[in-house]
Amino acid sequence: MLFQSQIFILIFLPAALSLYYAVAGSAAARQWVLIGASLFFYGWWDARFLPLLVGQVTITWLLALLHERIGARWPLMLGVVLNLASLGTFKYAEFLILNVEAVTGLTLPRTEIVLPIGISFFSFQLISYLVDRMRGDAPIYPYRPFALFVTVFPHLIAGPIVRHNELIPQFALDPRRDGLAQRFGIGFVIFTVGFAKKVLLADKLAPIADGLFQRAGQATLTFAESWNAALAFTFQLFLDFSAYTEMAIGIALMFGLILPENFRRPYLATSLRDFWRRWHISLSNFLRDYLYIPLGGSRSGPARFVLATLVTMFLCGLWHGAGWNFIIWGLWHGVGLLTCHAWQKLGRPMPAVAGWAVTILFVIVGWVMFRALDFDTARNVLTAMASPAMGGSFAGGGLIVASALVSALVPSAHEIRARLEAMTPQPWFAAAAASLSIYCILEVGRGAPVNFIYFQF
Amino acid sequence: MHGTTPGKGDATQETCGWRRFSATFAGVFAGGLAVIYLLILLIDPYRSVPFSLPMERPIVSISQRYMYPQIVRSGRYDGVVVGSSTARLIDPEILNPGFGRRFANLSMDSMTAWEQQQLVSLYLREVGAPKALIVGLDTVWCAQNADRVRITPAGFPEWLYDTSRWNDLLYLLNSATLEIAGRLAANKLGLYRERLRADGFGVFVPPEEQYDLKRAQGHIWQGRAREIVPQEPAVVLSEAERKELRFPALAYLEDMLAALPSGTEVVLAFMPVHVAAQPVPGTRGAAIEAECKARITAIGKSRNAVVADWRIPTGITTKDTNYWDNLHYRLPIAHRIASDLAGPIRAGRETDGSFRILSSPQR
Repeated sequence: MLFQSQIFILIFLPAALSLYYAVAGSAAARQWVLIGASLFFYGWWDARFLPLLVGQVTITWLLALLHERIGARWPLMLGVVLNLASLGTFKYAEFLILNVEAVTGLTLPRTEIVLPIGISFFSFQLISYLVDRMRGDAPIYPYRPFALFVTVFPHLIAGPIVRHNELIPQFALDPRRDGLAQRFGIGFVIFTVGFAKKVLLADKLAPIADGLFQRAGQATLTFAESWNAALAFTFQLFLDFSAYTEMAIGIALMFGLILPENFRRPYLATSLRDFWRRWHISLSNFLRDYLYIPLGGSRSGPARFVLATLVTMFLCGLWHGAGWNFIIWGLWHGVGLLTCHAWQKLGRPMPAVAGWAVTILFVIVGWVMFRALDFDTARNVLTAMASPAMGGSFAGGGLIVASALVSALVPSAHEIRARLEAMTPQPWFAAAAASLSIYCILEVGRGAPVNFIYFQF
Repeated sequence: MHGTTPGKGDATQETCGWRRFSATFAGVFAGGLAVIYLLILLIDPYRSVPFSLPMERPIVSISQRYMYPQIVRSGRYDGVVVGSSTARLIDPEILNPGFGRRFANLSMDSMTAWEQQQLVSLYLREVGAPKALIVGLDTVWCAQNADRVRITPAGFPEWLYDTSRWNDLLYLLNSATLEIAGRLAANKLGLYRERLRADGFGVFVPPEEQYDLKRAQGHIWQGRAREIVPQEPAVVLSEAERKELRFPALAYLEDMLAALPSGTEVVLAFMPVHVAAQPVPGTRGAAIEAECKARITAIGKSRNAVVADWRIPTGITTKDTNYWDNLHYRLPIAHRIASDLAGPIRAGRETDGSFRILSSPQR
C-alpha cells in the first residue's frame, strides 16, 4: 500500500487512526493496534515476507534478552550476524553469484529470491539496537514497544532510519496529550507537501528519466537529451524520496509520534560534506555512528581517515542496491568527500556560488551512475553531457524548472513544522492545503500509483 | 475562567485555533471529495455505476477505452467493428444498409489483440452474441510478443470490462473522470458538443481540404527512399521454421470467434496500410507475415468467416495520395473500404484487385 494511493489515504489511514484513538487511553491497546496496522500495511505488498519481518524482530529481541540474562556478548554478535545474513541472502546473494560466475566462468544455481520490501531499513534499525547494546547504550525494552519501533508503518519501508531511543520513549506518551489538534493540523500540511511533490512532480519526471535512460542503453543521446535525463532523475529522486519522508513524518505526527528529519534542501549544499549533512540524514548519521567512527573516522591519522571514508561510502553505495553502479556511486562520493576535506584543509574557501556549482555538478554526475543500469549506459549519458556540439531537444523543461524551484524553496518537514508552530493557524491556509490534497487525490486516481524509488533499497 | 491567566488563555486560544485549522482541513478534504464523488456517481460518465440514473450520455471524450463499454452496454447495436486506428474510419452508416444491421465501430487507437478480445467478450456478456463482427486486422495479430505486451503504455481499464460493476466504484474518483463528467454536464446545458457519434464513429484525420501531399509523403516515407525494392532472392521459410513461428494473439482470435454462435456473420479483414508500412517483399518479415496470414485464414475458414486482405501492394496501398501517413488512409478510401465490406467482401467476391479474398464462407 503506497502512501499516495487512494486506498491508503481514504481507507487505511482513517481506519488506523480511528482504531488507535478509540483505544488511546491504554498504552498496550494502542501499541497493539499500531503493530497490527503496520503488519497489515506491510503484508499488503506480499504477506510472504511478514514472517521474515516478525522473525527478525523477535529473534533480535530474544538475543538481546539473552544477553541481559547471561551477560555474554555472543548473543548480540549472533544477532548482528543473523540480521546481516538475512540482508545478505535476500539482497546480495544473486549479486554475489553473478560476480563469482563472471570471475570463475562457472554456472552456478540461481536463488530466484524476491527482495522483501524495506529489508535494508528494518535490518539496519535492528543492527543499530544490537550495537548500542554492545556499547551499553540501549536498555532491554518490553517486546511490544520494541516490535513497534521497528514495524511502525510510517517509517517501515523507506525510513527515516530511526534509533530506538528516538522512538520507543514516545510510545508511552498519550497521543491525546496537549497539542493534539496542532499535531494533526501540522501533520496534514506536511503530508500534503509530500503528497504534492510525489504526485505532481516526481511521478511526472519519472517517464522522462526512465525513457531517456532506457534509450541511453541502446543508442547515443544528444547533449540536451543527456542533461535532460540527468536533471530529470536528479530532481525525481530528491522529490520522490523527500516526499516519502514528509508523508511519513506527517502521518507519524497524526499518531502523536515525531520522526527525525531526513533532508534539508540538499541541492543547496555548497560543498559535498554539506550535501551529506542534508541528504538522507538518518542514513548518514547511521553510517557515521556505526561505521565511520568505529573505523577510525578523522581522528586516527590520514591513512585511517581515507580508509574509513572509502569503506563507509563503499558500503553506503552497496546498501542502496546489489549492483556495481551503486558501489561506483558510493566510491565516487567517497573520493569526493576526501577531495572536499583536503580542499577545506587548505584554508582557501571557495565562494559559495562556486562551491554550490561544483557540488551540484558532482552530485548530478553521481546520480547518472546511480541511475544507469550498466556502465555503458552511464558512459553514454556522461559522454553526451560533455559534448555540447551534439545539440538535441529537451523535454519537460517547465517541469524541471518547477522541480528545481520546489527543491530549493520548499522547506524540510521539520522546518515546516517549526514555522507552522510559530504562526497563528489560519483556516484559509488549511482550506488551501486540503484543496491541494484533493487535487492530488484526483490526480493519483488517474492510474496505478507509482512506487517510491527508495522502496527497492 | 480561562481569561484569568494570560498564559493559559493564550494556550486555549492557540488550541482553539489549531482545532479550527484541523477541522477546516478535514472538513474541506472530506467534504470536497464527497461532493466530487457524488457528482461523478450522479453523472456516471462511463455508464458503469450499478445504480446509474437513466439518461442519454453522448460520447463527450475520445478516450475510447473508457467510453466504448457504454456503447456496448446500450444494447443498440447488433454489429461490431473492432480493430486499431486502421479500422476507425469505417463508417457504420455505410455498413448498416449492406449488412442489414446496426453497427458500432469500436476500434481504438493502437488497440491490441487482447483488448479486442476483451471488448468482444464484454459485448457477449452484456448484450449477447452480435449478429455481425468485423475485425480490422493489422500487425497486432501477428506480433510475437502479443501475450506479454497485452496492453499499450496508455493502460487499459480492465474494471470497465469485467463481470462486476460494483468494483467500478473504486476507480471513478479521479480528475479524468471528473473532467468527462463536467463535459457531460456542459453537454446537457448545450455548452459542449459530443466528440464521437453514438455508434463510436469519429473522424480523427484532418479535414480533406487540409491535405498536403508533400507533408503526407514525409510521414509515409519518413526519409526513406520512395521505392519498395523486393529482396532477391526471396526468403523462403523451411517447414521447420514455419512451425516454430509463434503468433500468440491468434489464440485470442480463436477464443474470440469460438465464443460466437455460428449465426454471427464474421469478416476478418487485413486493413490497407501503405506499402511503406508493409514488410518488403522477399524479406524474412514478409515471409513471417505470410505465415501469419495463412494461419488467420485457416482460423477464419474453420469459423466459416470471410477473410479479406487489403494489406498487399495494390492501387490503393501504393499511391501516396491515398494516405495521411503510412497507416492512415484518407476518407474517400475509408468510404470505399466500408462499401466493399458491405458489398463484395461480404459476398466473398473479389472486384478490382484492391483486395484479395483469402477465405469465403460455405453457404
